[in-house]
Amino acid sequence: MRTILALAAKDLRGESRAKQIAPVMVVFALTLVFLLTFALPPGALRAPVPLPKAGAISAREITGLLLWTSIFFAAVIGFGRSAAADREGSAGDGLLLAPVDPAALYAGKLIGNLAFLLATELVAIPLFMLFANIAPGSLLPGILPVMLVASLGMAAVGTLFGAATQYAEARSLMLPLLAFPLSLPVILGASKLTSTLLIENRFGSEARWFILMAVFDVVFLTLGAVTFEFVIEE
Amino acid sequence: MKKDPLQLTQTVLAIGFMAGLVAIFFWVPTEAFQGVSQRIVYLHAPSAWVAYLAFGVVLVCSVAYLKTSESRWDWVAHASAKVGVLFTATTLITGAMWGKPIWGAFWAWDPRLTLTLVLFLIYLGYLAFRANAGDENRGARIGAVIGIAGFMVVPLVHFSVDWWRGQHPSRTVVRPEASAALPQEMLIVLLGMFAVFTLLYLVLLALGVRVLKLEDEVMELEATFLENAVITPHITG
Repeated sequence: MRTILALAAKDLRGESRAKQIAPVMVVFALTLVFLLTFALPPGALRAPVPLPKAGAISAREITGLLLWTSIFFAAVIGFGRSAAADREGSAGDGLLLAPVDPAALYAGKLIGNLAFLLATELVAIPLFMLFANIAPGSLLPGILPVMLVASLGMAAVGTLFGAATQYAEARSLMLPLLAFPLSLPVILGASKLTSTLLIENRFGSEARWFILMAVFDVVFLTLGAVTFEFVIEE
Repeated sequence: MKKDPLQLTQTVLAIGFMAGLVAIFFWVPTEAFQGVSQRIVYLHAPSAWVAYLAFGVVLVCSVAYLKTSESRWDWVAHASAKVGVLFTATTLITGAMWGKPIWGAFWAWDPRLTLTLVLFLIYLGYLAFRANAGDENRGARIGAVIGIAGFMVVPLVHFSVDWWRGQHPSRTVVRPEASAALPQEMLIVLLGMFAVFTLLYLVLLALGVRVLKLEDEVMELEATFLENAVITPHITG
């Protein structure tokens, strides 16, 4: 446990000095959030929803997807950056030589990535609500558990495949290519929960997505911890 | 000349496939509601079966490779992923061809369709990674991790695409799922095509493994050659 924390602290300390991951993630997420909310008709998310005609879709229904695709893209960029930092600074080589369990390496890296992602969300989500004219009360506090469960899943996938793609050619393409379809359950889950919260002010029967995402988190955390040694091995 | 067992299998496969096509076009009765377009099911369903079988094989062989580090497991996993992607594409294309006259659209966001599409993307990612892995051993190891992750996510993707639409089922056409109601000819041809496609999978897999094995041997030969070339430099004068 101390090893894990030391490893996470290494990433966070590096970032506090270099500042090359979290700020980029935040700016990237904001750019996307701005673009996507800009595309919506003014007040589309604030107005009371009229009963939709069959087949029609209200802007609120896609709000969650707009938000979480932006966050996911920012997350992938950040995870790629954070894995690349280890390769470029040769920290990865040093860690390989250290007598540390690969699962602990994975966990340490994961905590760092999770921290970057949550920091990004803490800036991006309030600004998203501001741009989209969403009253804070309609998403808080329900969005907090969604953030936690979804971010953990994204970080679990991103940490594993961020490291996995580091030595591939065209690595900046490989990570999103692999991470997107694999992360689909958490992207859809977070989106659905956010939209439902916005429309109904409660999760209702959609709360079942929490179970799905929690299972996803457990599956990928386990997979990451077990297979990380094969990923980083020379 | 020694007889290659694979060649014999290929002959059996060719005959079986021709017989299957003849049966599909001339022997099987035409389905009452869907008409001739239903006949594509005899290619579509076996393709889907082979696609899922192939990805299952990727999973098993990936685990075996990580456990043993024996290249042959990786060859089978890699070749099986290629065949799986091919058959997923066939499934999606034949499904779309059937969907146009029956559903009125090439594509409907039916949960099963969506799941197949996501699988297609995951294993395309696998193949793209293998093609760009750089170092062969690393590629094999990480490929195995992708192969395992890709299959483990299947049930989760299944539920998420199923739940995404909530209470708005997009599928209205009843599929001929109850095999008891099928005329005997239909059942025979369908089962026959399942057998033929499984054989086709095995043949393609065997050929794929052979190619990967040869590539490996070529690389080893090249490596030996380069080593020797460095050890005995060409001296003139």
